Amino acid sequence: MNIVVCVKQVPDTAEADVRIASDGSGIEMEGLPLQINESDNYALEEALLIKEDRDGEVTVITLGPDSSEEVLRMCMAKGATEAVRLADPAFDGGDAWATANALAKAIGGMEYDLVLTGCMASDDGMTQVGVTLAEMLGVPHATYVTEMEIGDGAVTVGRELEGGLLEKLEIKLPAVVTIQTGINEPRYASIMGIAKAAKRDIDTKAASDLGLDTAEAGKAGSKTTLLGLDYPPAGEGAEILDGTPAEASTKLADVLKEKGFA
Amino acid sequence: MPSLADKYELLGCIQCGRCTAGCPVSLRTYLNVRKVVYDGLIGPAPKGAHERPEAWSCTTCATCTERCPKGVKPMELLIGLRGSSIERGKVSPTIRDALESTFKHGNPWGRGREKRTEWADELDVPVAGDGDAVPLLWYVGCTPAYDPRCQDVARALVRLYEAAGVGYSTLGAAESCCGNEVKRMGEEGLFELLVEGNREAFASHSIDAVVTSSPHCMNTLLNEYGGVADEVVHYSQYLAGLLDEGKLAFKGSVERKVTYHDPCFLGKHNAIFDEPRSVIERISGVEFEDLDRSRERALCCEGGGGRMWVEAEDERGERLADTRVKDAVELGADTLVTACPFCLLTLEDAVKTSGCEGKIEILDLAELAAMAL
Amino acid sequence: MNDVLVLAEHLNGELKDVTFEMLAHARGVADASGTKVAAVLLGSGVGDLAERLAQQADEVLVRDHDGFAHYNSAVYQPVLADVIRGREPSVVMIGHTAFGVDLAPSLAVALDAPLASDVIDLAVEGSDLVGTRQTYGGKVNERVGFGGAAISLVTVRPAAFAPEEASRGGSVVALDTEVPDEPAFRRFVEYVEAAAGEVDITKSDVVIAIGRGIKEEENMPLITGLAELLGGVVACSRPVVDAGWLPKDRQVGSSGKTVKPKLYVAIGVSGQFQHVAGMKSAETIVAINKDPKAPIFQAAHYGIVGDLMKVVPALTEKITELRA
Repeated sequence: MNIVVCVKQVPDTAEADVRIASDGSGIEMEGLPLQINESDNYALEEALLIKEDRDGEVTVITLGPDSSEEVLRMCMAKGATEAVRLADPAFDGGDAWATANALAKAIGGMEYDLVLTGCMASDDGMTQVGVTLAEMLGVPHATYVTEMEIGDGAVTVGRELEGGLLEKLEIKLPAVVTIQTGINEPRYASIMGIAKAAKRDIDTKAASDLGLDTAEAGKAGSKTTLLGLDYPPAGEGAEILDGTPAEASTKLADVLKEKGFA
Repeated sequence: MPSLADKYELLGCIQCGRCTAGCPVSLRTYLNVRKVVYDGLIGPAPKGAHERPEAWSCTTCATCTERCPKGVKPMELLIGLRGSSIERGKVSPTIRDALESTFKHGNPWGRGREKRTEWADELDVPVAGDGDAVPLLWYVGCTPAYDPRCQDVARALVRLYEAAGVGYSTLGAAESCCGNEVKRMGEEGLFELLVEGNREAFASHSIDAVVTSSPHCMNTLLNEYGGVADEVVHYSQYLAGLLDEGKLAFKGSVERKVTYHDPCFLGKHNAIFDEPRSVIERISGVEFEDLDRSRERALCCEGGGGRMWVEAEDERGERLADTRVKDAVELGADTLVTACPFCLLTLEDAVKTSGCEGKIEILDLAELAAMAL
Repeated sequence: MNDVLVLAEHLNGELKDVTFEMLAHARGVADASGTKVAAVLLGSGVGDLAERLAQQADEVLVRDHDGFAHYNSAVYQPVLADVIRGREPSVVMIGHTAFGVDLAPSLAVALDAPLASDVIDLAVEGSDLVGTRQTYGGKVNERVGFGGAAISLVTVRPAAFAPEEASRGGSVVALDTEVPDEPAFRRFVEYVEAAAGEVDITKSDVVIAIGRGIKEEENMPLITGLAELLGGVVACSRPVVDAGWLPKDRQVGSSGKTVKPKLYVAIGVSGQFQHVAGMKSAETIVAINKDPKAPIFQAAHYGIVGDLMKVVPALTEKITELRA
């Protein structure tokens, strides 16, 4: 069984003060640690578990800058057999449509049974590429998958709906499945393993290798346009009870007492 | 692939069992050091700690290696087994997260690098600028920088330095994990990366001496970095020196009945037993008495060797930190002092789990000393 | 500009809140551009839902068919594409839900139309539509244009807009669009309810929720202690379930439970919208977080900026004192 996993390198902004770049095209990346997108990491693990169970190849593919090769090497250290990077300045500034289009051109030329992606990128929060890619490839899809069982020419998945409800579906292969976090426990990639993977080839493809015109790629090939970035307006927000932990706690305990909780 | 027997020179083993007999965790975990060595020799040799989960019970206190009459190094074997699991990616999520965080943020606690100096926000702690010469570097360490309990230790040290009027500097947010625990978790590649980065950072400041808050940092900077400075000392040694030279003096008095827990990486690993005791004994009002199992024979708190990130599984018996706290209470001490962030955290936790709340207080040596200023 | 078309989402005979939220916002967009609001409802035996929608929309387009007994994007998508091609609305609004996320991107490809997902605002600027969406975990807002497309698609974040009371009495129009059989390539099997645990977090007046900030499972007793003291239950955000520290039935948020307790204390919870969606209606919300910029402080009434490992023990002590 051959599996393609789409991965993305994203900045870790959980604890960072995110600053908008002066040209307004994105955020200041300096000082932000880069990592594999969280749900992509679970998608990779799911692919590796399937590969360990029933053989085959796991190809990781990304569209991103030079630095994103670090993510591909980490994936290879964990057990991915091939790595592809779509690398071309023509891909810059693309929206979910343009990204999916480039991925579809690349994956469409591969022998695959299953394509896995994370369900959402933590940087842009788009939640689109997986399904758009499926439609462009002309294969079925399922999103937000937290359970997966490979059958004969088909996969049974559990989709996470609202309110803790699970929707079970059977999908014919080949298919695109977008993976939700928590489906498995991603493994560790050792630094030694990553260093060894550094010696392996990454298949780099430019827009022309995919038969894509520059007008079909990146910003030019996008359906939506980025008009600008802003900081969210500060809302009214909470009344902050300040002081040392003891002082703040005293204030809170008083509030809770007043409201009849303490 | 060399066999475990060749790689860890196990052939000298005579199966005398001194390693296991001295192992502080052998009674409360399923770790039997002699048996692991035996399997390494006779087979079937385990492929890694994922096949021998008890290898994660080792606190790398080094008792086994020190007690071996034949010079076998069982602790290295256990760390090697962990390393094989790491190479295969088969480690618990807590260890994975600690290692990934260390790679990404330079600390195992999952906190951003820019938050590393937050503990000192209200203090005047010097940070070395680009290329500044730093005759005396205080290597704060990850746990004192990020852990809210241990940040008090870092703040106490600042008060002590200020009282002694010593000139020092820190690396601020540019400081990265020393890798002592990373190495003992078996992640040799990450350790090498950390060594390289830290050596570079140190070299750019022409440092003469390094003082560390943690014995773990001191251990690796001193013994495993191949000479980063002329002198690398733990703060207990440094304070003892300042007291000897008369630069630091305790003006106050602390009325406490104190005993002391030897951190493994200060005591067993580096034979620093006297300096912390000399600091304690110079504080007026303090009544000091050693625990029965002290110095080379000290019980381990179980916080070392990456155990801060190991989820306890398949273990039995009382935690050693609980025993330690109870021993201290029995001795009649009202304060159990230690000089290591991991010991501080595990012992403080043990006060609660052993039901000794209100009977004893755990303090770091720096905190006790700062009380006496 | 043409109509604003809102796709009604429903499950088990009930319309989802997001449908009414979208209709309310669609009204503003339609008024600003002098056009109408139409709702499209696909379902099986959904006549009463159509009447309900007609109070909010100018027109309700209904395709009532057995083939819509449960949601399957492979059945919905071609039907919707047909309806949309026929009506040519300027914008189609779909909820940013498990349903919408599964459907909207494939619909966009079928229509060759732009899609802005998870928008928190949609405005008319001159003759152009502009969507606003959040990036980097809510730390940056992004304004998105649709390149002047004739038909644009958006998925709308639940709870981004307030619903409105209305009694418009719009018309209900039955459609006869062809509904394909469920394709063999994507078959619905069943819905599975999450196994009920011993604690029902939706029934408690006091909910103490923990998030990623708890860091280690070992810190859990701190939280259970506080919950016991306040007579509440312990709930959590998604990362805690992913880590396996609490079962799924303790998760608050869009993919977990919705709770409306009298007191909700969020400890070490950053406040991603998926979580806030499940607790925003609590009477009193308290947040304890070390990041003063955490979005949870926007949802909370009272906040303490600090390390939970210090604040929670201090708070537990203070409350114990008050009780004594």
